[in-house]
Amino acid sequence: MSEPIEPQAPEGAPEGPVGPYVYDYAASPQRQIVLPKTVPLPSLKTYEAEVVAQQAADEAKWKKMQADYEVAKAKAEAEGKDAPKPPVKPVPRKDDNDMKTPWPQVAKDPDLLRLQQLLGEQVEEIFEQAGELTCQVRKEALHEALRICRDDADLKYEMLADQTGTHYPAAKEFAFSLVYHLTSISRRKRLRLRILVPEGFEPESACSLYPSANWMERETYDMLGIRFKDHPDMTRILCPEDWEAYPLRKEYPVVGLGQRDIDFREDRGGVLMRIAMQKAGQMGINLKQPTAD
Amino acid sequence: MNQPTQVEQFLITTKVEKVINWARASSVWPMTFGLACCAIEMMAAGASRFDFDRFGAGIFRATPRQSDLMIVAGTVTYKMAPIIKKLYDQMPEPKWVIAMGSCATAGGPFDSYHTIQGVDKVIPVDIFIPGCPPRPESLIYGFLKLQDKIMTSSLADRYKDIFEEVG
Repeated sequence: MSEPIEPQAPEGAPEGPVGPYVYDYAASPQRQIVLPKTVPLPSLKTYEAEVVAQQAADEAKWKKMQADYEVAKAKAEAEGKDAPKPPVKPVPRKDDNDMKTPWPQVAKDPDLLRLQQLLGEQVEEIFEQAGELTCQVRKEALHEALRICRDDADLKYEMLADQTGTHYPAAKEFAFSLVYHLTSISRRKRLRLRILVPEGFEPESACSLYPSANWMERETYDMLGIRFKDHPDMTRILCPEDWEAYPLRKEYPVVGLGQRDIDFREDRGGVLMRIAMQKAGQMGINLKQPTAD
Repeated sequence: MNQPTQVEQFLITTKVEKVINWARASSVWPMTFGLACCAIEMMAAGASRFDFDRFGAGIFRATPRQSDLMIVAGTVTYKMAPIIKKLYDQMPEPKWVIAMGSCATAGGPFDSYHTIQGVDKVIPVDIFIPGCPPRPESLIYGFLKLQDKIMTSSLADRYKDIFEEVG
């Protein structure tokens, strides 16, 4: 029998941890908060600005290529060599993505045009994308827009199918976009109504127009922290009543603020739970159970 | 020499502990308690194809006060954890817990703010059954392991940690 070969650590390598390998969850890259640097809000204006900027950049690049060619040509002539090849203007490459991604289009749908006609200056933007209608209104005019969508004889959007929000921390003028997905059952159409709200702004509740907005607005409040004016019951709906912070904001860590790490396994007399509450209180986390009044 | 004596022909000698363990292991009543999709497999294990009742565990009680076994079948959320703890406290001793599935064992795919990473952070667990969800055979195997544990346990061991805690 040969001697067992001891594994030799390579020289200069840092020494590993003693004992069983423990994965450092706190330092894992999946747990680091990376705030987005762009505002991926679908918008016709933004898309058009991007197209113009891209064209300008292409033009500048082409100008620079021509200038470089002139310089190189003059240099070659002075040295008596052959002239370099003239540059070829690059053609934008067409890849599959160009054909598959539906870009925002100018609105042609009569519903959007009707909305713009009725609301006038209150409409910030209308566009179509992949056959879906989007109308962005001023945040103060939300109630009026919803009322028109519901009551106007040409629109007749009877149902509020969904109401959600998105956090855009990189945006400067606003912090959240609130989206109302309206459905017209009689006309088989859908419309997306959007407002952009800054931090701390309280939009009007849609409960008086669409009763289904009640729980959806509570969910939006629960996940994003947007409070709604004149809502009958503005409390949390999914998280416990004493939950800290709003989980769907981008700066919220995926693993939470330590609520899930509570350990009351061996807690037969409730002692450990009390200690945990005290410790959490010192750390600034509220773990108290909701009490029935 | 090895023939039983006259007395042994109508008497069995054993330990009281063993008899009690045998009785406990043969009629473990679980609680009707499901949290997520694992509960469907638990129901399948209780139904006629797999028939949990062959091992004395077919009577799912609707109250924790009549149950011996809690099968935690599903994801344990932060909001649910105190309720599980309360149900566990309401069960009379002796009581056992099976953590069924990846979620109840270690959080499963929900490495997130709202999920307790394993029900053993809330209540003591006897048997862990991996799987997402485990098949009824796995649950039955885990239950047989629990029966082994009950049969080999001692009445004194059960309360040892409590005595140590009290001092």
